[in-house]
Amino acid sequence: MKKFAYFPGCSLEKMALSYHKSTIESARKLGVEFEELDDWNCCGATAYFHVDELLAYTLCARNLALAEKTNLDMVAPCAACYKNSYFTNDALKKDPDLAEHINFALEEDNLHFTGKVTVKHLLEVFAQDVGVDEIKAKTTRPLEGLRVAAYYGCQVLRPRKDHEDVEQPHFFEDIMSAAGAEPIDFPEKLLCCSGSLIITNRHAALSMVRNLLQSAAQRGAAVIATACPMCQVNLECYQKQVNQEFGTDFNMPVLYFTQLLGLALGITPKRLRIGSELVLPTPAFSRVRRTPATP
Amino acid sequence: MASKPTFSDEIANLLHASHGNPIKICMQCGTCAGTCPSAPFMDHTPRRLIAMINANMKEEVLASNTYWYCASCYHCTVRCPCEIDIAGLMYALKRYSMWKGQFKEGLIGPVFSETFVKTIFRSGRSYEPILATTYLFTFGLQDFITEAQTATTMMLKGRLPLLPPRIKRLKNFRRMIGRVIPVGGLE
Amino acid sequence: MNQQKKLLIIDDDPDFVEGIKSILDAANYSVDVAYNPKDGLNALQTMNYDMLLLDIMMGRGAEGIMIARKMRKDAKLRELPVLIITGIREQMAFLFPGEPVHPRFVEVDELVEKPVEPQFLLDKVSALLQAAEARKGKAG
Repeated sequence: MKKFAYFPGCSLEKMALSYHKSTIESARKLGVEFEELDDWNCCGATAYFHVDELLAYTLCARNLALAEKTNLDMVAPCAACYKNSYFTNDALKKDPDLAEHINFALEEDNLHFTGKVTVKHLLEVFAQDVGVDEIKAKTTRPLEGLRVAAYYGCQVLRPRKDHEDVEQPHFFEDIMSAAGAEPIDFPEKLLCCSGSLIITNRHAALSMVRNLLQSAAQRGAAVIATACPMCQVNLECYQKQVNQEFGTDFNMPVLYFTQLLGLALGITPKRLRIGSELVLPTPAFSRVRRTPATP
Repeated sequence: MASKPTFSDEIANLLHASHGNPIKICMQCGTCAGTCPSAPFMDHTPRRLIAMINANMKEEVLASNTYWYCASCYHCTVRCPCEIDIAGLMYALKRYSMWKGQFKEGLIGPVFSETFVKTIFRSGRSYEPILATTYLFTFGLQDFITEAQTATTMMLKGRLPLLPPRIKRLKNFRRMIGRVIPVGGLE
Repeated sequence: MNQQKKLLIIDDDPDFVEGIKSILDAANYSVDVAYNPKDGLNALQTMNYDMLLLDIMMGRGAEGIMIARKMRKDAKLRELPVLIITGIREQMAFLFPGEPVHPRFVEVDELVEKPVEPQFLLDKVSALLQAAEARKGKAG
């Protein structure tokens, strides 16, 4: 059985609890075990990360050092947690002086960073470590006919440049196809959900969200699949505000890809916490030819 | 040794450890401005802001909303043909303006950054309801009501925490931060 | 004893540096400046100085501390007197309003806060140089 050190991040504790639950459930079905890091801390997110880089590295290095103690590679389902952890790992490995200084801080919690773990985003674990063949083989309730907009957002791919393809990736679509769904052509799949601008510049943020919803709706998506709690909340919980601001009438369900994957693997909607959305996805599932049990 | 640095040198000094190329090599192609999803809302596009830095227009740069409207999507950084880390530059400008206490009035960004990092210091985790205090006061009545409705629905759906989370080894955590930011009040 | 003393300032604030450098120049010190921590460390390692005047918040964050810590581990630089001149309380006031600078974050000779009175600066510099001479005298 494959095993990873699991860094859920702050959002998955409550706001994105459905992402957490569906991640653990789907992974178990696919023979992957996640061991939650003991006493992990916030990754610094985007609001402050890099405003004080040394602080940002320290916060992330603590989690990396916790992961090192497990002797497992680390996985993060949140795109921001992943990006921050990945780049801290990278920066500290490249700069021994920096690592020495951050380790001086980590001493206060009896921890030490050496750089021996690999940091992965959850999508990478499903696409590479599990693989689409395995997902296909374990899919018992394929999401036939479900038109999905596989939405990558930003930080799963960027600013890493050694990725499969920074401009035209397809591993997310591949996972959705393996689950029997029909990924639509969604050119906006790499555009930003506006991130923390939803707080700091509401007007700009809502306009960016509208752009994404509009494209997904026009292209006939029944649901948007995300791999980041920030993307999910911005696209889903602020739809009402978008409709108010722009006079639109979007009613687009936005689910975590693990919830869709979980359904295909035969997990009940309840265990995947489907039903905790503000835009209920039930109508979308009515289009699935072999309807999964509705919540 | 060195002669007195210009504003553009100062920014280069802030970025001395950055992974990208120096911004002085920017050829003003505008790929960043065309890529940036936030550009329509900025008073200067990223391309223009870089030109302004290179022209040492310090006051105008600091007074700009551009770097506070960066959403950290990194699209500019991965596309820049000169391999300048433009998103990193935006962070450096935030840092510079916060250290100097000099930024455009009325922006929520600086207050949000402060609240966010304070929350982490207090508990080791972030906590959404506290973050809301940074922006709610800027809303009109209708927006405020919509926001409150959304929050209530999320609360009812079990998606908002009632109590702030807290890590277990908080004392160690705060002492750890005290070693990278040497200001008292952390222990 | 009358040999001109060589000082290095590592500070990223050009206006502040201009001010203290002119004070120190006038007092007949030879003053070099590095405006970022990387150049500063490089200067320390390649040249010989009698004293370092060091800022804290530079580059990526509190890099002044990284430099002070590195010096304490370096046989050649361990004895060099260090005067930290920082505006960190102002710079980080948004985080820690009214808090003092952490007293024991690194072993340095002296820490003063910006802004600095010219005479106060000259007194501190001369006192630290004398103390360093005395230490050298004892060791020799």
